[in-house]
Parts: sequence; C-alpha cells; structure tokens
Amino acid sequence: MKSSVRLLFFATAREAVGAAAIDREVPARGAILQALLSSVVEEHPRLEPVLKVSRVVRNGRYVSGTRTRVRPGDEVAIHPPYSGG
Amino acid sequence: MTCEITSRPLYLAGVERHLGDPGSGAVVLFVGRVRRETDRGRRITALDYETDRAFVLQQLGDLERQAIQRFAVRRVYVIHRVGRIRVGAASVIIAVAAAHRATAFRAARFLIEKLKREVPIWKANRWARSPAARRRRTPPPPPGRRSPG
Repeated sequence: MKSSVRLLFFATAREAVGAAAIDREVPARGAILQALLSSVVEEHPRLEPVLKVSRVVRNGRYVSGTRTRVRPGDEVAIHPPYSGG
Repeated sequence: MTCEITSRPLYLAGVERHLGDPGSGAVVLFVGRVRRETDRGRRITALDYETDRAFVLQQLGDLERQAIQRFAVRRVYVIHRVGRIRVGAASVIIAVAAAHRATAFRAARFLIEKLKREVPIWKANRWARSPAARRRRTPPPPPGRRSPG
C-alpha cells in the first residue's frame, strides 16, 4: 500500500530541484498540497520563482487554490509555462 | 481527429492519410521548424523538447475537439516531435481539412497558438560552443613543437 505522493518536475522546475521526481510520505488521511510544495521549496529555494508561474496537475487534472488535498498514491506534476511548437 | 507525440523525424508525406475526406475542399498544413538563431555570438544548433507524456495527449485531444466544435472543420491532425531536434528540422505539424479555406486557415492558426500556451511541451536551447570555449578545450601543442602561425 502506497504511503507517498509522487511529485514530478518538468523543464525549469526539474532544473531547480535537480531531480525529475521526488516521493513524499503523507499521512493516510492526506495532506494539503500547498504545505507539501512549501516543504520542497524549503529544500530547493530555486523552485520558488518557478512554482509561482507554474501550473499544477494532480492525477491528470489541473488544480488551483491552496487547500487542495493530496492522498497517498497521488501523482502531482509541476508544469512551468509551456513552450511547444 | 488524431494527435500524436513522437521522437522520430516528421515528414509531410504521411500526413495526407489522416485527412481523407471528399467533403473537404481545403487543407491547410502548418509546419513548425527549429530556427537558426544567434545570441551574442552564440549559435543554436538544436532544441531539446520534452513533454509530460501522461498528460499531453489528453490536452492535445481537448484542443482538437475545441477546433472542430468552434470552426466546424472536418479533420484535424496534430503531431509534435520531442527529444533533440536540429536546426531546420520540423518540430510540429498541424493539418486541418475543412469544407472551405477560410475556416481551415482560422482553425490551423487557433491550434498552433493554443498548443503553444496550453499543451505541456517545453523546449530548451542547445548552443554551439563559442570559439573562445573551443580554444580553451584545445590541448596545448606537445613540447618541442611550435604551433602554426
């Protein structure tokens, strides 16, 4: 049974963190996404400005707002501004 | 409606089979290519594209559905290449088949503009080494030999 959330970092977010993915333990009842991301920013301060302009995707859907809750087994992707084409 | 992500080179030759529809009097093709660019003497040799593979097809599919509903076009095909793409090679092809040219042009424009803003694809420049950097990496001549010039 999974007890962690997988955080995925793309492009400049990956460069800021130095990893494409990080697993974070969360309680079975879940955790507030904002708090989880703040703890990552504490360890990787270069992520902060990137995070401010990024979109956040939880399990294949964009999320917004600071009260979004994540649960064990969730996947959260940090998407800096897109630049395809 | 079809969308694809690939790490292989893109060719226009394969596109037409996605557009077969006798009711379409117009087909518009847009090809995005990696442009030669320089910045303070440095030259771009390629772009490295990456994507969120778990999410990108969902977003491309949404975009295509929007184009079909908004412009009443008959067929849409979008393919984007990822990985390292050298200058001059295609990074994206967008093809739209519609009854009339005006809608086909409008829908193709809509698709490329939206793709740039709403589809999780990122690119990073690959720079050629500057002449100064190349000189720094050149090993000194062996003892007893003079360098030319």
